[in-house]
Amino acid sequence: MSTTDFSRIQAAVGNLAACTTPSESRMDLRADADHLLRAVTVFRGLGWGYLSAITGLDAPGGAGTEGAPAGADGHIGILYHFCQGPAVVTFRVEVPRDHATVPSISGVVPSAALFERELSEMLGIEVRGLPAGKRQFLSDDWPPGVYPLRKDFVPESAVAVAHSAPVIGSEEAPGTFIVPIGPQHPALKEPGHFEFSVDGEIITGASVRLGYVHRGIEKGAEDRSWVQALYLVERICGICSHIHATAYTLGVEALAALTVPPRAQAIRTIICELERIHSHLLWLGVAAHEAGFDTLFMFSWRDRETVMDLLESVTGNRVNYSVNLLGGVKCDIDAAAVDAIRRGVDYLEERSRHYLKIVTTDESFLRRTRGVGAISHEMSVRYGTVGPTARASGVTTDLRQAAPYAAYGQFPVEPIVSQACDQEARFVVRVKELFECYRLVREILDRLPGGDLAIPAPRKVPEGEAISRVEAPRGELFYYLRSTGGVKPDRVKVRTPSLCNWAAVVNVVVGQKLADIPVILAGIDPCFSCNDRSVTLRRSGRAGGSRAGGAAETWSWEDLRAYGIRYYGGSH
Amino acid sequence: MDVLLALVVFPGGLFVIAASLAYEYVDRKLVARFQNRVGPRWFQPLADFIKLLVKEEIVPDGVNRGLFNGLPLAALAGALTAALYVPMAGLAPSWGFRGDLVATVYLMMMMTLCIGLAGANTQDRFSLVGAVRALTQLFSYEAPFLLALLGPAIAAGSWRISEVNGYAREHLWMIVTQPLGFVVALIGLMGKLELPPFDAPEAETEIVSGALTEYSGRGLAFFRLGRDIELLIGLTLISAFYLGGLGNPLQFLAKTLALLAVTAALQSLFARLRIDQTVGLWWKAGAVLALVQLLVLIALKFAGVQL
Repeated sequence: MSTTDFSRIQAAVGNLAACTTPSESRMDLRADADHLLRAVTVFRGLGWGYLSAITGLDAPGGAGTEGAPAGADGHIGILYHFCQGPAVVTFRVEVPRDHATVPSISGVVPSAALFERELSEMLGIEVRGLPAGKRQFLSDDWPPGVYPLRKDFVPESAVAVAHSAPVIGSEEAPGTFIVPIGPQHPALKEPGHFEFSVDGEIITGASVRLGYVHRGIEKGAEDRSWVQALYLVERICGICSHIHATAYTLGVEALAALTVPPRAQAIRTIICELERIHSHLLWLGVAAHEAGFDTLFMFSWRDRETVMDLLESVTGNRVNYSVNLLGGVKCDIDAAAVDAIRRGVDYLEERSRHYLKIVTTDESFLRRTRGVGAISHEMSVRYGTVGPTARASGVTTDLRQAAPYAAYGQFPVEPIVSQACDQEARFVVRVKELFECYRLVREILDRLPGGDLAIPAPRKVPEGEAISRVEAPRGELFYYLRSTGGVKPDRVKVRTPSLCNWAAVVNVVVGQKLADIPVILAGIDPCFSCNDRSVTLRRSGRAGGSRAGGAAETWSWEDLRAYGIRYYGGSH
Repeated sequence: MDVLLALVVFPGGLFVIAASLAYEYVDRKLVARFQNRVGPRWFQPLADFIKLLVKEEIVPDGVNRGLFNGLPLAALAGALTAALYVPMAGLAPSWGFRGDLVATVYLMMMMTLCIGLAGANTQDRFSLVGAVRALTQLFSYEAPFLLALLGPAIAAGSWRISEVNGYAREHLWMIVTQPLGFVVALIGLMGKLELPPFDAPEAETEIVSGALTEYSGRGLAFFRLGRDIELLIGLTLISAFYLGGLGNPLQFLAKTLALLAVTAALQSLFARLRIDQTVGLWWKAGAVLALVQLLVLIALKFAGVQL
């Protein structure tokens, strides 16, 4: 399929860009900055794929990243990754470091705007024609002219500059009233800043500011070994930690041409699905809470504990599971664990049926979700939404089916799609995805392959680049990895699903009611961290009182839970 | 001496405060159990109250300090005064006059007015939106709520709470004869207290804490206490009118707690209504139901039917 597509693309843009096909599913189009916009316009005219990410690569001095003759000061490569199914078409542009400027493609591809903003803030590339806007990723006191993802960046150069804290409403036009949400606000579980101008209860304008928890992980990965970076990227998200580690691991394994044992792939996939179950149940509770339905919140989080316990019993951790190794997995699933997972999944399936009934029939809840925040299919495609948010708007893409990775090739997934486009559809899609997860987990457990858990991975990874795309609970997660043959990655580019969904949300809230804002924001499931808990405690005399003996300082899970119930039950 | 005692200890003052904190506890515990949570310990409402009292009270810039400090007191005073006119603990009200029912309803309304003013007094955007919502909601539930309380009064032929209570004790429970009025009164009380699903004026996920966002210490404690007292008064009034009157403390406990259990269940059953949905519900359903009830009542009264 992709071969014929590629020849079609080559025929269309071949005169504007040099085509190569480095692998079966990939095609590179080298264009110079002046022809980029025309090439992309022609390419979009074919109606092929969607923009998945834009990667910037800094190569100071020496040869350019694209093999072009070296300039005095080196080059910056800019990669525009368009995807459809397993196929990736990459437009590659190279610009001199001292005069890094490219045209904005956001006029042709609206979803590019946030990616281009990131490019200009992180790599100092001037994107001509990108609508002016406030900073999104770097903090307000970040010095101008310092670009953290450039290779010659030194932390010492990031000296905070004086800036005046923005005053809410200082830019208010007469007759408008701005309601700020965030950076700290009960509706947000993670800091972000939104300003909504309202007319009474109706939203007339919206803007977003991101970057409050930007931790420089992409930069940090460049300074760690391939193995260390695995543990770093796992900490990008507190909810979907495993999927980050999986995307990274799959990418590195592709670079190093490792063939991972089938049992390892199956276990990875099981953990992926358990993680999706926990993420969707967590989301269900939060989204219900945003609509003021706290009973559903409490119930779904109570049931979520079932899958959290399973994850903990299999991996030893509740948040950063650390299941993946380069070349395999760390933990096995034995017969006892198989039984426990089956029981847990059975229970959760029954509960999910109940929740599906609630979100589709509860009159008071439907008044808050039906017809609210509708992102039309056209809008969803235009702004490049991903994951369940997109599938609730009729976009059928689910990478588990469209571009199978890990064990999804042997255990096919059916994408859950709804045409209803509104908030109710997002509930229905996610709850129905839970059933798909349960089915998948059972099937993999039924046919769990035997064999090794891991094969040894080399310390140095051969030179090259790899693109790894996986379906995180929130949608497509994109990793671009580049190796120069050393012990450290040269570039780790991460594009998280939430980043793709902001544009559609900011556009869809206009005209909605203020009361629906938290509901709509929650609808895309913006990523936030969940708390870790420790099960190793120094015992105080009273706390462990009911336990016989006194030598153990490590509490079992049952002890901790019993302690919690005693503590909050008021018996002390 | 008796007057002082009635004002400070029983049935006004201390007793009402203690009882209302106890009812807050029952309410919170019930909702928690319905949601499969553990819920607070019995002294938690008192602990919250004391904690707020000793906290620093932050007065934000740009407010009228007199109003900022005075409004919580006015709200609390209104609620405490209203408590004197109702058959608290099932005993005869300590005060009463012809038409004290109307006075009590308006004293109870002071709370919402004070909250609205408190929100409009600050420059905080959440407070302003909350204040607008609180007052909007006031205008939607207040008329049906008042009409629903007038039903039993018309049946009894008196606008004096103690006489309606006496009438109710000697006749068939009015929840049977005026079911519509009972439903409107109970739901109206939930609207008055901004309990879920009518908590749009203080919806935390939208406007943090609504009109009271800027209140931190004492002021917040008084507003919360005032609301607890209103809950107690409201439950007392509705059980006196609709549940066969209140004659002794035992009846009082049984009837008000039964009502509280119903409101707690209603609180955990629904998603929050948007403010436009609340207003629509009250004017399209609440007001119509209360009016129908009242018209039927008046017609029967003219026809000479003994209710």
